[in-house]
Amino acid sequence: MKFSELAVVLSGAVLAASCIREEPLNAECDIISVSLPGDVLNRQPLIENNKVTLIVKNDVSLLSLAPEFELTPGATIEPASGTARNFLFPQTYKVTSQDGAWTKEYTVIVERNNTINLNYSFENVREVSALGGMCTYDVFYEVGPSGKETMEWASANQAFALTFQASAPNTFPTYQGDDGVSGHCAVLVTRSTGSYGQRLGKPIASGNLFIGKFDMSDAINHPLEATHFGTPFNNVPSQFSGYYRYVPGETYCEPDASGNLVEVPGKTDMFSLYAVFFESVPGQEWLDGNNVLSEDNPYIISTAEIPDRRASSDWVEFSVPFILRPGKTIDPDKLKAGDYSIAVVMGSSQDGDRFCGAVGSTLKVDEVSITCASEIE
Amino acid sequence: MNTYYKIILSAILFVTGIQAEAAGSGGQDTKGFFRSLEYEVNAGTNIGGATPMPLPSEIREINSYNPELNLQIGATVRKWFGNDTRWGAGVGVRFETKGMKTRATVKNYGMEIIDNGKTLKGRWTGKVQTRYHSQQLVVPLTGFCRLSRRVVLNAGPYLSYAFSNEFDGYVSDGYLREGDPTGEKISFSGDARASYDFGSELRKFQWGMQLGASVLVYKQLTVNANLEWGCNDIFNSSFKTVSFDLYPIYLNLGFGYVF
Repeated sequence: MKFSELAVVLSGAVLAASCIREEPLNAECDIISVSLPGDVLNRQPLIENNKVTLIVKNDVSLLSLAPEFELTPGATIEPASGTARNFLFPQTYKVTSQDGAWTKEYTVIVERNNTINLNYSFENVREVSALGGMCTYDVFYEVGPSGKETMEWASANQAFALTFQASAPNTFPTYQGDDGVSGHCAVLVTRSTGSYGQRLGKPIASGNLFIGKFDMSDAINHPLEATHFGTPFNNVPSQFSGYYRYVPGETYCEPDASGNLVEVPGKTDMFSLYAVFFESVPGQEWLDGNNVLSEDNPYIISTAEIPDRRASSDWVEFSVPFILRPGKTIDPDKLKAGDYSIAVVMGSSQDGDRFCGAVGSTLKVDEVSITCASEIE
Repeated sequence: MNTYYKIILSAILFVTGIQAEAAGSGGQDTKGFFRSLEYEVNAGTNIGGATPMPLPSEIREINSYNPELNLQIGATVRKWFGNDTRWGAGVGVRFETKGMKTRATVKNYGMEIIDNGKTLKGRWTGKVQTRYHSQQLVVPLTGFCRLSRRVVLNAGPYLSYAFSNEFDGYVSDGYLREGDPTGEKISFSGDARASYDFGSELRKFQWGMQLGASVLVYKQLTVNANLEWGCNDIFNSSFKTVSFDLYPIYLNLGFGYVF
């Protein structure tokens, strides 16, 4: 008797505990995809957490565009999807979640194949906080002659915040230094990612800075694919120049199977610093860590690489030409249509993409410029 | 673990000590009092878990549950009243482990990953593996009712003190929204996991209710079944990351030896 009673009580408890309740309404309020009516986009829309960048063809008027949005299921957007607005200026949209409890504002920017800056002196940074304000990192940006921001440099700083190793900007792998050739400079340092990064099999983080976008959502799963190199470019680049100084870290290491760093005796770290001019095609609009310098990548048109990179505690000036890959030419029509892109890539450990390098390796870069050929032959 | 066994050992010595004292005490009254006391040592295993009641809607699926082997050892002193010894009262002491291992699928679940003195807070959607392991000293204050010569029911409150507390696990196959559902989305797939440890946020003192029965199966040997229902959230009230309360609910099954 008593046991059966007990059994009733217990099974009641188990039943109550194992009853899965109705699924809650979605709390997220994301723009998942954006489209513009007609064949006006020149690149896939760049969707970030609070910002959408639409790059349209050169002959498209920005005065009245009506983007259509796909949102988190159940979410709503204001103004409504398909509303025509003037995109000469950035426009804001407000997305409200299905459960009504959360809203997010997006800035939507429409750009034609814009002319990016060709000279980079790393004087402008904004501080961005992460981990609820517990750490702050630098984001470099460029301003045009009118003082308007024209480009934001990408880095993996945001992912490094997740390793819990950083606090102030100069504890991140990429930050602004005070000792430039002139004014400030970019500083890239290879860092240890601590126990957390090690558990994820990513024991070091090379400082990196590049023209393109860093895809945070994919950073942990596919770090090589998370670096989207390149931005539209409608000139023919001829020369890549600037200044660097490089001090390699003391001990070059590579991770073993379990993610622990193992010293590789006799090996010294080396940095990377190059520019790539390539064709953007649907499905491969950008280059990533897997293919940015691949010999067999058919879309790379020309590269500018420094052949005699070396460690130096003083500034070293470099100026290297863009060299066309064998058999490659630049099609003037494609150039006009905005089908080409350029990427400038720098890293404090050239094998940092495979998490090999020396903690402490420090690359400083300043006064970088891209020179363009005035005419195509 | 070592301390655990030491404590168990001292508990046994303590009980045997009472026995010896009872046997050797001089005064007639005291002797009579002790003679009417009943002593029991018991051992068993706890099956159950720390569960929200009812399950919050954030939990979409329980993928696996492992009660783990939770040992329990203890002693009870009982005083029976009246000539029919139908009613009684007692106090016990026992050392026990409460544990479980679960794997669940959650949606928009409060999560906090702490490392190197820094915190990554957010909402997790995906898989969560949780391990709860608590070693406790429990003092039950119980009333007894004898249904028959063989069957005794018991009920009453208990107080417990946890001298070792672990609550940890990892998240995988999903994504975190940093801060709140509007925050940056960080995906984890494949082998990528992020571990969390809320052990230091667990409550040391808890209380609850116990209800059970024991059956005398052979001479002085009893089979016991007790349901322990915790009345406190296992976490300190200041801990907000797990947005719902978890209650320890365990069925204790074991044997006792009555002196």
